[in-house]
Amino acid sequence: MTGAQAILTSLIEQGADRVFGYPGGAIMPLYDALLDSPVTHYLCRHEQGAAFAAIGYARATNKVGVCIATSGPGATNLLTSLADAKLDSVPLVVITGQVARAAMGSDAFQEVDVLGLSLSICKHSMQVMEPGDLQPMLNRAFAIAREGRPGPVLVDIPKDIQLGFVPEHSPRPCNTASLPQASHNDIEQANRLLAQSQRPVVYIGGGVGMASAVPQLRDFLCRTQLPHVSTLKGLGSADYHHPLYLGMLGMHGLAAANLAVQQSDLLLIIGARLDDRVTGKLDEFAPEAKIIHVDIDPAEIHKRRHANVSLLGDLQHILPALECTSSKSAWSAQIEQLKQQKGNRYEDHVKGKEIDAPSLLRRLSDLSADDAIVCCDVGQHQMWVAQHMQFSHPTRHLSSGGLGTMGFGLPAAIGAQVAEPDKQVVAVCGDGSFMMNVQELGTLRRYQMPVKIVILDNQRLGMVKQWQELFHNERYSETDLSDNPPFSQLAAAFGIASAEIADAGEVEQALTTLLEHPGPYLLHVRLNHQANVWPIVPPNTANHEMWEQAR
Amino acid sequence: MTYDLELLLSDQPAALERVLQTARYRGFKVRQLQMRQRGSGLQLSMQVSGPQPINILTTQLHKLYDLASLNIEQTLPQTA
Ligand SMILES: Cc1ncc(C[n+]2csc(CCOP(=O)(O)OP(=O)(O)O)c2C)c(N)n1
Repeated sequence: MTGAQAILTSLIEQGADRVFGYPGGAIMPLYDALLDSPVTHYLCRHEQGAAFAAIGYARATNKVGVCIATSGPGATNLLTSLADAKLDSVPLVVITGQVARAAMGSDAFQEVDVLGLSLSICKHSMQVMEPGDLQPMLNRAFAIAREGRPGPVLVDIPKDIQLGFVPEHSPRPCNTASLPQASHNDIEQANRLLAQSQRPVVYIGGGVGMASAVPQLRDFLCRTQLPHVSTLKGLGSADYHHPLYLGMLGMHGLAAANLAVQQSDLLLIIGARLDDRVTGKLDEFAPEAKIIHVDIDPAEIHKRRHANVSLLGDLQHILPALECTSSKSAWSAQIEQLKQQKGNRYEDHVKGKEIDAPSLLRRLSDLSADDAIVCCDVGQHQMWVAQHMQFSHPTRHLSSGGLGTMGFGLPAAIGAQVAEPDKQVVAVCGDGSFMMNVQELGTLRRYQMPVKIVILDNQRLGMVKQWQELFHNERYSETDLSDNPPFSQLAAAFGIASAEIADAGEVEQALTTLLEHPGPYLLHVRLNHQANVWPIVPPNTANHEMWEQAR
Repeated sequence: MTYDLELLLSDQPAALERVLQTARYRGFKVRQLQMRQRGSGLQLSMQVSGPQPINILTTQLHKLYDLASLNIEQTLPQTA
């Protein structure tokens, strides 16, 4: 077997039958072997797009996503996506071709030290220097990507190893890291704090979905009836119908969620890391709250805030052991009232009015399938998606959280559609972000994937514009995009059907047409550039001091 | 504060870089460093200093797949 064939055999053994990538010199042997392999390869139009597609695939399925690139520029084009996967704990195996071993270290054509470049943005990286190590290393890469807190793993493979003979390797389960396990004692202590608290709030993070612990979480919330809030990555974990579910907290969190957390006397943090976008001014975050921190990663405990009790381990085991033996009915009543007072209000889509993006997104959410997968880019529209759309599961909301990478939405949607060919997949894009991976329209066209694109076009780099308006004395520097291309014409050039709307009266029909169209479709929505995202917690400010509207 | 760390690493490419990078990124300065082969692995004695509690660094070092063991030998107050 050649090294290239061995790579593909390993992929199949690992269940990775669909991969994303882009060919080039140092990875040509692998692309040659692909022709005779059952692995299906999706050609994206940029390595960043390919890796985002792998992220979309992984996040929509909780399986390992795989992408392939050549050495040099192929590898460097991947770096942003690797960082994205690292910060959002997405399991990826990324295979890069490298120049032949004899040429390594000589500044050969398209040689870069990708191992060195990858160190700080991967969970682990490896370079295969012996043919006999190839398959064991690939197997290990998959194990590492999946285990504990997931993340991206890079495997750099010199071209001569792909071309040469590789000894037969029988896959053995590799030694994976031993995962921590919460002690009975710690669980009892947590339960005691829960019982003693007067104003507890559950703070749900992305870890719940990644641990496949959504049923255990919902059961816990059902048993305990505790008020709960979610991070951006945690959205979809809790049942959005629950009367004590308050939505997203943080910088653009909903007012009720932030106020409840600020008033709490106990926070039960589950699979989250107290990101600065969540806590606002850390010293004033939930100042009276004791902390129970539940996570799989010991490095997150006490990192940003001291935990009174920490429970390390698998959420599927920990959540069923947690209980709250005392009633919090007064607090629950207060929370329900807060939710009532601060609830979102939506506009009817009336002819002759400007389109209100939050109302449009809410309608899109209502009209789309309950298990539709919504991907988005980064900016104001991303926050509107998080605030106003409802998700039945965290695998149904793919948003670049930790890195906040513009250009994420379209390629992630492509990956999600590959993973779930029969599900509705919608990409909600900003006009700025869309242009960052616009080349992936070519991928949509090639595979005729029925991804629905909604461009929320405010002709601005809206989120940056909002900060310039609020915090930089309205000094608008380089955020005007009023020379955007006509997006419908762009879609037409790729053979993709489209429509353009600017009047609220057109929303209902346009959304219905979008969702019912059998193939890919692009809806260009023209917005007033003055709209902003509310609430906002200004920088260095406590979350309860959020601004709820323009001042 | 200054801390003396004893690390045992597997002899993999980039193992040393990973340790140094982790220390720098987590806000610790490397004050002293000694490395030698020990069996099939690498033994590293490293003195670091930084304003943060040492667990900010050690919990991250524990995540390195090249790390076989890690001990904090002693803790000294920072000298000028
Ligand atoms: C790759 C990248 N570059 C720059 C930024 C900084 N940034 C954050 S939001 C934003 C504006 C996004 O504009 P658009 O996609 O049109 O979305 P909007 O905010 O208008 O909804 C920018 C430039 C980023 N997040 N990612």
